[in-house]
Amino acid sequence: MSKLFDLLLLLLLISCALAVVRMKDLLAATIVFSSYSLIMCLLWLLRGAPDVAMTEAAVGAGVTTILFLLAISRTTRYERK
Amino acid sequence: MKRAAVIVFLVVVAIPLVLAMADLPPYGSPDSPAYTHVGSYYLEHGVEEAGAENIVTDVILNYRGFDTEGEVTVIFTAMAAVLAVLMVAGGGTAEARPLPTPPSVVVRFIVRVMAPLTLMFAAYVIMNGHITPGGGFQGGTVAGAVFIALTLVMTEHDVSHLIPHRPERVLQAAAPIVYCAVGLLGLTLFDVYLGYPRTEEMALLRTAMLVALEIGIGVGGATVIATIFRTMGSDQ
Repeated sequence: MSKLFDLLLLLLLISCALAVVRMKDLLAATIVFSSYSLIMCLLWLLRGAPDVAMTEAAVGAGVTTILFLLAISRTTRYERK
Repeated sequence: MKRAAVIVFLVVVAIPLVLAMADLPPYGSPDSPAYTHVGSYYLEHGVEEAGAENIVTDVILNYRGFDTEGEVTVIFTAMAAVLAVLMVAGGGTAEARPLPTPPSVVVRFIVRVMAPLTLMFAAYVIMNGHITPGGGFQGGTVAGAVFIALTLVMTEHDVSHLIPHRPERVLQAAAPIVYCAVGLLGLTLFDVYLGYPRTEEMALLRTAMLVALEIGIGVGGATVIATIFRTMGSDQ
């Protein structure tokens, strides 16, 4: 069961990573990147590393996302060709 | 053509990586290199020798204290670099920016209710870093996130009171400063830079040194995050 859950999380992780690279809408990419961090946080937690999970949740999903959003609000939302 | 070349290249790189993965020890195996060298020593002696019940804190603040000092210095330097770039680049772009939309009532209410509780959680994580998972880095980031959330719902004037102006420069450098202070304390008392007392009678001093480091890292980290956010978001 836990193996199945792990597999599901890893598949989600990979699809999030691919989606971030492929997306042209940077705002959407930022949000997907923050969900990538949340999945990564769950994986750290399942591997018995609560310290790293806390950092990942706070830095990866929280602060980095906000800084990206701020950068987008000061530049443009869509990637140029 | 180029695309096919890239795919072939990636496959060629991937094959040895996947083959190497088969040689890795299984997850949690006691024979893996992580458990056969110093790791097992830390697990056996860490709690009584290094003074923190949380082994992770033992390693990052005591056994690997120098690395962590370097790390907090890197964070401080990174902030200085970001500020240097933003303060030069942020000159002429003020007019181009559209007016920010005011935050909704829901966001304002939730931030106002959650901010004190979250800040208390951050303080708990920092102060309890030597007992439970967490510590200065984690708690500091959570506290920095609270500042960011408050910046979103408060007016520019109120935000400037969140972090007092004069000590701001000192607070940004809190982590390296506290690290140097604790290191010099170790140097004067125990003849080793960043040395900790090893006897049982001095256990209280040891814990105090660890907690001081955690608080320094937490305050420094929170201020660095808040400063970067404010500089990026401000109009000057």
